[in-house]
Amino acid sequence: MYCNQRPEKPGNKIEVFEKITNMARANSLWVTAYGTGCGAIELRPLHTSRFDMERFGIAMRPTPRQADVLIISGYLATKTLKRVIRVYEQIQDPKYIVALGSCTINGGMYFDSYNTLNVLDKYLPVDVYVMGCMPRPEAIIDGFSLLMRKIKDGRAQGWKHYKENLDYYRENQKKIITDWDLPDYNW
Amino acid sequence: MIDKVMKDLEIRFPLLQLVREQHNYLHVKVDKASAIDAVLMAKTSLGFKTLQLISTVDRLEENRFQMTWILENYGTTSILLISADFPREDCIVPSLSDIWPAASAFEREIFEMFGVSFPGNPREGEDFLLEGWKDIPPMRRDFDSEEYSMRVFGERQPREHTDPRQYIGDIVGEWNTPMGAKRARKEKK
Repeated sequence: MYCNQRPEKPGNKIEVFEKITNMARANSLWVTAYGTGCGAIELRPLHTSRFDMERFGIAMRPTPRQADVLIISGYLATKTLKRVIRVYEQIQDPKYIVALGSCTINGGMYFDSYNTLNVLDKYLPVDVYVMGCMPRPEAIIDGFSLLMRKIKDGRAQGWKHYKENLDYYRENQKKIITDWDLPDYNW
Repeated sequence: MIDKVMKDLEIRFPLLQLVREQHNYLHVKVDKASAIDAVLMAKTSLGFKTLQLISTVDRLEENRFQMTWILENYGTTSILLISADFPREDCIVPSLSDIWPAASAFEREIFEMFGVSFPGNPREGEDFLLEGWKDIPPMRRDFDSEEYSMRVFGERQPREHTDPRQYIGDIVGEWNTPMGAKRARKEKK
């Protein structure tokens, strides 16, 4: 069951029940406190008193097991991608990814770097991209409000896409992580 | 202080170049055979007991690596740079990690980034910054970083149209304005 089986495909849920739970999910987004790049510096003003993201129900959690959202903040090196995959797969369903900055969209200013990847959604399912280099806290709040609307409408299905297309994502991940030493499935 | 250091080094080693950058800042260039001896002498008898940095510059046109050891004497706050040229192919430089343990980290980084080998370093070849790197070392100047990036990581495909409505239209319409939300609901029906 643990670490040696493919993920179970998410079954069909009752629609009305899903709508109610989605509203609850959207208003209590808990974020893994894990900064991957320079954009993590913009999260500090966001969760302290000036911008205060807790008024939207967004809180920082110390472990991925308690969180729903993973923020990819800025450039992502191949070495970090390994850790990010590990963290992402340990988050309980449903889970969402918010990607900050132009580096995650097309490489940004590191487009020709030898160890930062250019297109993030080949490796992980991204629900919301926030553009900017770096995005201001207002822009990140805007991105989160978009994520909340997407969850309420049932359109934030990146985690389902990841489970259903695991082979595609794994193939891409293994292409750039040449010394793959993770367990194949760590849920 | 630096005057005495200059004299001592001139007596012991054939100096190729000697530049006094500031009143307490000396740059010395020696040949590759006496580089390590000069560093050791600076430590043992001239009082430069702290290793600040080991750095490498890739002089591709002249086919050489310029190694530099930066030493500091805290007592007199003076800095000594000792540099030497090594051939670029199969570059081998003696390790200093048993004299300064901190040198081990610098040497591992240089091994990974330039491919300079340091025999004598007990942790040589261990991963430092890159994991599972299989190409030529990335800081060498004949390594084409952009070509590597395009080959391994790929590029995002550019958009086919320039009409923003096709890409962000539904988001702007649906989410951000009440009118847009109404319109989207109508279109759904």
